Amino acid sequence: MSASGTTNTTRRSSLFAWALALPMPVWQTLFFVAALLFLVVMSFWSVQNFRVTPDFTFDNWAKIYSAGYFRVTYVRTVLYALLAATLASLIAFPCAYGLAFKASPLMRRIVVASLIMPYFTSYLVRANSWKILLTDQGVINSVLGTVGLGPLPMTSNLFAVMIGYLTLILPIVILLQYFSLANVDRRLIEAAHNLRCGRVRTVFQVIIPSARTGLILAATFAFILSFGDFVSPSFLGNNKPPTLSVLMVDAVKSGSQWPRAAVVALTMVATLLLVAFLAMNFAYGEKRKRS
Amino acid sequence: MAEPLLVLDGVVKRYDDHTAVHKIDLEIAAGEFIALMGPSGCGKTTTLRMIAGLEAPSEGEIRLRGRRMNDVAPWERDTPLVWQSLALFPFMSVLKNVEFGLKMRNIPAAERTKKAMPWLERVGIAKYRDRKVDQLSGGERQRVALARALVTEPEILLLDEPLSALDAHLVIRMQAELKQLQQQLGITFCYVTHSQSEAFAMADRVAIMAEGRLQQVGPPREVYRAPANRFVAEFVGANNLLSGKVKSIAQGIVMVETAAGIMRARENPLLALLPGDAVTVVVSADRAVVSDSTADGENSLAGTVIGEQFVGAFVTLHLDLGDGSTFRAQLQQHALEPLGQVRGKRLSLRWKPEHTVLLKDK
Repeated sequence: MSASGTTNTTRRSSLFAWALALPMPVWQTLFFVAALLFLVVMSFWSVQNFRVTPDFTFDNWAKIYSAGYFRVTYVRTVLYALLAATLASLIAFPCAYGLAFKASPLMRRIVVASLIMPYFTSYLVRANSWKILLTDQGVINSVLGTVGLGPLPMTSNLFAVMIGYLTLILPIVILLQYFSLANVDRRLIEAAHNLRCGRVRTVFQVIIPSARTGLILAATFAFILSFGDFVSPSFLGNNKPPTLSVLMVDAVKSGSQWPRAAVVALTMVATLLLVAFLAMNFAYGEKRKRS
Repeated sequence: MAEPLLVLDGVVKRYDDHTAVHKIDLEIAAGEFIALMGPSGCGKTTTLRMIAGLEAPSEGEIRLRGRRMNDVAPWERDTPLVWQSLALFPFMSVLKNVEFGLKMRNIPAAERTKKAMPWLERVGIAKYRDRKVDQLSGGERQRVALARALVTEPEILLLDEPLSALDAHLVIRMQAELKQLQQQLGITFCYVTHSQSEAFAMADRVAIMAEGRLQQVGPPREVYRAPANRFVAEFVGANNLLSGKVKSIAQGIVMVETAAGIMRARENPLLALLPGDAVTVVVSADRAVVSDSTADGENSLAGTVIGEQFVGAFVTLHLDLGDGSTFRAQLQQHALEPLGQVRGKRLSLRWKPEHTVLLKDK
């Protein structure tokens, strides 16, 4: 009696758990996996008279992959994202370090809150508001003008795009780095000092190797966000020079080339999967044997 | 004693809300094995951390070979520490861990390995040189920590409860190995522990601390036989403490009136006792003679056996004296056997006046 009662309860509660857990996999299947599969299918379709028509042609793949501008843009986008991830990691580290090792608990709370706060506002708004500062008629160039300098070109170029990327990724990189640095075993730091390892050397010999996984994940996150970003290259960079996301939007806007956009999108997804896989291996994998 | 290697001169450590170390004066000789011993929170680890430079003294001076060390950064000292947590670098191989101190001295890689390998062999972990430290057992890790600290050939090695994470049987073996290593190297070991057996097994001198103060410093035997105060007498294992009042003093013998009758104790001239003073008579557990004849006369008590502990050839009996206090008597197994089954039996205890230590109560 009691045994069957227990089984019933277990079955019922596990059903209940399944019911609660189900919406998420369904959502993911519909709007991510299915959409992705559709993208693959569509990349083999054709466009006739500005209308997307089901087909099976390798034309889109051939066109895109043979185009010089695509290859240049691909390399550029990868390099931009790499640069953004590197800059963000380097700029974030001293801040995350100070937060983890020097700041008082109150200070820490204030800074962490202020790093979350930017995400209260849309990134689109934040990136656009940089224009007020950066354009030729903007605040910075006006000030420079009064002392007879400038105007310095600060939009429609690499500088502007990087400013936009950093607006997007810097707070999250600082937070991720801070969390990994906060978990570094303080006793290892003392042990290093005890073995004649000075402060700066301890950062490179002990703290960075200890926080390795978190630091790599933060940089990976920065790369992924920058690589796919459309706002910064289009609003601050004015599509000059373009990145893959700009290319993709252009393909759709000028001539309804949805299939070609699908090829670009799939290339981007594949790139990000590869980068994420490599980064995970680098972060978690067996560290190479150092003799 | 020649000029001591390390001097703590009136060292005080205060934190915002409490004082961890009150004015410690201690001289440590070169080549000595000294144990800082005391219950947790007594300030022994803080003292060790001040020697290593990880904490700065609030007052007083620490001198190493006559040089004032108070403001010397930890990374500018040669005071390697073997940590309670071991604090081995998990992202390095065994060899890299041991080479770390050499690397920090900017010794070239080839020479580092040449210097580190003999130490790995010496502590018996050479075959694990390329393993990660988390692939080793507790005892093996202990040896890595030891090799890492010794590879730079320091004059003094600091050890903070290094054996506390090991199994009991391994502790005994490591104690013997540590003592042997210290004697072979001829360097100073400053060893912090809460364990009396560990301190007594290895140290040339023990420094007993309580509540941030040094209670007594001396060779283990002296501390054991002549505790300086009530705290030491209670902390150092198997002593029985009987409180009473001085009745009279004659010919080196003090008559003390206790709840259990008159006790005769050896006089300590340094105490300058007067009749009426409150004192404690300390009787070592191994000094009491146990028999089943009835207790009579002075320096004898009777008690009921409420417990027995066997440690090898020795037995510790716990006797209930009937007034709420217990008396511990230690005797050899063969001396106990003629008495038969002792649990619950009433036995008498007897000891000689010269085997007592008298302490003046404050």
